[in-house]
Amino acid sequence: MAAISIRNLSVHVGDAVLINDITLDVPAGTWCTVIGPNGAGKTTLVESAAGIRSPSRGSIFVEDVDMSTMNERQRAKKIALVPQHPTVPAGMTVRDYVGLGRTAHHGILRAMTARDRALVEDVIARLDLSHFANRDVASLSGGERQRMVLARALAQSTMTIVLDEPISGLDLRHQIDFLELLRREVDDCGLTVLSTLHDLTLAGQFADRLVLLSDGSLVREGLSRDVIRSPELAASYAMTLRVVDIDGADVVVPVRNLSMDALQEQPQMFGETP
Amino acid sequence: MAASSVVAVVICALGGLAIGPLSIPWTGILASVVSHVGMGHSHLTSLQNLVVWQLRAPRVVLALLAGAMLSVAGGTYQGVFRNPLADPYLLGVAAGAGLGATIAIVNLGNGFTTPTWTPALAFGGALLAVVLTWIIGGRGMRSNSSTLILAGVAIAALFTAFQTYLQQSNTSATITRVYLWLLGSLASASWHQVLIVLPYVVVCCAVCVASGRALDVLSVGDVESRSLGLPVSRVRLIVVLASSLGTAAVVSVVGLIGFVGIIIPHIVRLLVGTSYRRILPISLFFGAAFLVVADGVARTVVSPSELPIGVVTALVGAPVFVLVLNLRRSRVIWPQ
Repeated sequence: MAAISIRNLSVHVGDAVLINDITLDVPAGTWCTVIGPNGAGKTTLVESAAGIRSPSRGSIFVEDVDMSTMNERQRAKKIALVPQHPTVPAGMTVRDYVGLGRTAHHGILRAMTARDRALVEDVIARLDLSHFANRDVASLSGGERQRMVLARALAQSTMTIVLDEPISGLDLRHQIDFLELLRREVDDCGLTVLSTLHDLTLAGQFADRLVLLSDGSLVREGLSRDVIRSPELAASYAMTLRVVDIDGADVVVPVRNLSMDALQEQPQMFGETP
Repeated sequence: MAASSVVAVVICALGGLAIGPLSIPWTGILASVVSHVGMGHSHLTSLQNLVVWQLRAPRVVLALLAGAMLSVAGGTYQGVFRNPLADPYLLGVAAGAGLGATIAIVNLGNGFTTPTWTPALAFGGALLAVVLTWIIGGRGMRSNSSTLILAGVAIAALFTAFQTYLQQSNTSATITRVYLWLLGSLASASWHQVLIVLPYVVVCCAVCVASGRALDVLSVGDVESRSLGLPVSRVRLIVVLASSLGTAAVVSVVGLIGFVGIIIPHIVRLLVGTSYRRILPISLFFGAAFLVVADGVARTVVSPSELPIGVVTALVGAPVFVLVLNLRRSRVIWPQ
């Protein structure tokens, strides 16, 4: 069953076409990552899937329910979002921030129930946030902050999470830690993940499926290994890419692609004059 | 904190009843207050009784209501617009009320009798300004909060221009009366006014305080709030309506009292943190107590004459605001 079904989705802003007639299924319990060059429409696609951007045309179904028929509260119980640049309100504790994830469940007039609090504590413990649960959110490092934002999304108790560039700004260690954490949630809890990632190697290694976009259109979709090794990948980025197998893992290596004109302009790089 | 705030309000209210040109002992006032709730007997003379219950008490109660409403509305506006400079007059309430009151005071059409019409036209002007702001700002539903604030600035400028023109076209005596109204006063407080304002303040304060949890969610911004399940447009409509309606009701009776709505929530934020679940109820008590004290100062410092209460709140408010801003440098009190 598809956790998210996107049918003929188009998003226009004025005359600009951000997404052009995309149809896509994200199978339940899998991790699907959207890749593509800047301006390909990755963020627009996942924001539409998360319900925070209205489509110009087409439909999005979450667990077979048409998103356009859901209000904010119903939607927040079906799908959670980790935005690219989350707002971190200084003065709020990590525990209170994670607790915001329960808003759709207890409503805006009622306080959190014992069950809500227990769920928040469970997520805090699961993501190893316990030792700074009472700290001000503004005092966290980048890696801790991203874990906290993921914790807020998990506290929504949805079966589907959408993440937009969740590891941008993190160092390599924290990138891997974060993606491992997410992978564990998919494998152990059956979570469905739709994310965007710029790093093609990490996208290929962690996601089950990849969706390649270019200029707002879906170019290729399928198992990660197939998409990473497809000729469309290099074509979409308009550059030369090599895929190297290291211990069974695909590593995408960009190759500097200098034309003869470029060589003539930079002869000193090769120690010879053309 | 909540209990000490209530105690502060009670002490300030009793102080407000005791302060005045006619000296009345504390014990007599306390006994009279207690007798009004059915316990003991009042020992006040009939003159003292008249002064306490017909002159001072409505004034103190009106100050409590106005201070509470302005502070809660200010805190609510700061939360819903995520703007530390927001105050209850942000969407043009003050300019609208000012224009309405000025129309009444200068007696346009000669059919108005000022004491009756001033609050009515001030109330109508305030609501008209907010409604126009809401419409121009894209009904506030689809637009973001910045658009609404800018629409408020434009409407306020327009209404102030009309108000200034009317004011300057009249005699100096009329201008003085308009200025006095603009600076705010509780001098003409009566139980009748209290009864008019009371339901607005009770309902609007209750709505605003109840929205504290929603304002906490809104602190992560409109987009994230929606993804968390908050009906942002509906929440904004309800709290802006409640804040504006309550503020309009208060200023139509007491005039434009400045600074309370902006400094009290900031001071409370320093004391209790950034959660609106705490800021709004504590601001209610702090604002009420502050305005009673300010009124006490307004009617005693140049006795037997009186200072406009707006002058006192600004004189106290400006230095306190500077102090708060300085404290912000060493301690974060506003989400960046």
